[in-house]
Amino acid sequence: MSTADRTVDVVVAGAGYSGLHAARHLVAAGLDVLVLEARDRVGGRVWTEVTPGGATVDQGGQWLGPTQDHLAALAKEFDAPTFPTWVQGANVEVRDGTRHEFHGLVPTSDADASADAIAALLDLDLLAQEVPADEPWTHPDAVGLDQRTLAAWVDENVESRAARDLIATAVLAVYGAEPSELSLLFALGYAHGGGSMSALIRTAGGAQETRFTGGAQQLALRLAGELGDRVVLEAPVVGVDHGPRGAVVTASRTAPDGSTSPWRVSARRVVVAMPPAVQARIAFDPPLPGARDQLAQHAPMGSVTKIHAVYDRPFWRDEGLSGQLIADTGTVRAVFDDSPDDASHGILMGFIAGSEDRRLEGVGPEGRRALALAELAFGFGPRAAEPAEFVEQRWSAEPFSRGGPVACFAPGLLTSCGEALRAPVGPIHWAGTETATAWSGYIDGALSSGVRAADEVVSALGAG
Amino acid sequence: MADVDEITEAYADWQVRCNGNRRLAKMLRGWDRVVHLVASDTGDGFTVTVAGSVLADLVPGLVGQPDLVVTATSEDFADLFWGDLNPSEKYVSGDIVLAGSSEDVLRLDAMSMVAFLDQ
Repeated sequence: MSTADRTVDVVVAGAGYSGLHAARHLVAAGLDVLVLEARDRVGGRVWTEVTPGGATVDQGGQWLGPTQDHLAALAKEFDAPTFPTWVQGANVEVRDGTRHEFHGLVPTSDADASADAIAALLDLDLLAQEVPADEPWTHPDAVGLDQRTLAAWVDENVESRAARDLIATAVLAVYGAEPSELSLLFALGYAHGGGSMSALIRTAGGAQETRFTGGAQQLALRLAGELGDRVVLEAPVVGVDHGPRGAVVTASRTAPDGSTSPWRVSARRVVVAMPPAVQARIAFDPPLPGARDQLAQHAPMGSVTKIHAVYDRPFWRDEGLSGQLIADTGTVRAVFDDSPDDASHGILMGFIAGSEDRRLEGVGPEGRRALALAELAFGFGPRAAEPAEFVEQRWSAEPFSRGGPVACFAPGLLTSCGEALRAPVGPIHWAGTETATAWSGYIDGALSSGVRAADEVVSALGAG
Repeated sequence: MADVDEITEAYADWQVRCNGNRRLAKMLRGWDRVVHLVASDTGDGFTVTVAGSVLADLVPGLVGQPDLVVTATSEDFADLFWGDLNPSEKYVSGDIVLAGSSEDVLRLDAMSMVAFLDQ
């Protein structure tokens, strides 16, 4: 192992919610901790920005839902104000190029298709209840479920095309991936981790129920504030040399003149708190076991761009609209009212996800803006075409997330490599929302994964 | 607060709606259950039996061994049967308490959505 510039008990790689929460618990156990973060900010896939016009937008994860107890507890501890996501009024559905309005969870313009979609959702939820969220690979028919994609199940079980489109829209919004990209076993275990597929797609009563006044990054900022100079920004971890007694973590630090140099930190334990696809860019010496390396290679991030159109006020509410929209085709398949609690601005937020997100790579920001605004105008009227501001966050082009909102496990991966997901490798422990046993893919899962990894380290070091 | 007559009237409307719904019949296939409804504010109890995808008449009182016990305010029961509330939201918020399996909760949720699709 190479010589170190600094020695600590534990290095945490990644200052998203999982890494920060892990660090907090490790510090509380009396350990000397250093958090190395690649970006110039903390929060990972949760990032709140204020636009030049003064609107607060969550560019990444933003919601708090029922049973997300870890996030709720942290919000309570930090006294972070929250408010319900706006759901009053009619939702808009765009189906076959025609605009409809509906109330509730499922569109009603084509009752047969909606009934098919509800029946399919029920069947998926019933299946999901049987798949252990923490260890999907232990399901008695795990191999059978893991060999199929979610799309294959939908094709076999849902007759109407309109119902299949509805389900695809929901899947794109939840996973940032096409149903054809997801192992059925993964999709079911992921849904069970949040209660059910229905819970993941609901606003009121579901995963999108509550928002943070001032944005969702504030809790990460508070955690980082507590940790102080234990958090080092702009220091991406590029290598981990490890052995039985510990590891030397190499980060690439940037000097004020822009030059970079390696910085080596020796630690008894390392917590890697990032998605598998980002972890895959770290050079481990000796190499990781094959199953862990394969897992990182076969769990690509979802593809998602989040757009925010900012208006002087939420004008759609005057027309009895909720600001929620779903579309069977097009660029923006799901839209929410993301206005602040005091309605000082009106904000429509939408997701461009899956293959459409990748298809629009070459269109550029102006092209995506034009496409998105045309669709918002179709749903909410011509005023929607002229926002005061328009911002997009293209997660798939963000080098330290590589996509979002979550890693998507390909068919066959969980049953062949799933056990490697959380299994420590020598002194290396794995955190990040993808490793969570409940609410994986959400902030809540990130937090619980951080605690679990920290507990492993504390136990291994006999600290606390 | 809704009294026994109001809940019975609302249930009768819901029963007709459900039993006349071919889509619902398909979704309820194999889901035979004795359901007890307990109004937390009035203390009134009711029994609903689902058999062969058909909802029987509402029976006053708690009759037989239940597979599922639903506890809510009398007003919420009436609103549920009139289609004015989403049981899943009330369940998550804790306003409706269900003692049964997760499958039963999911089926009730799906039932309520499908029953009012054609409104």
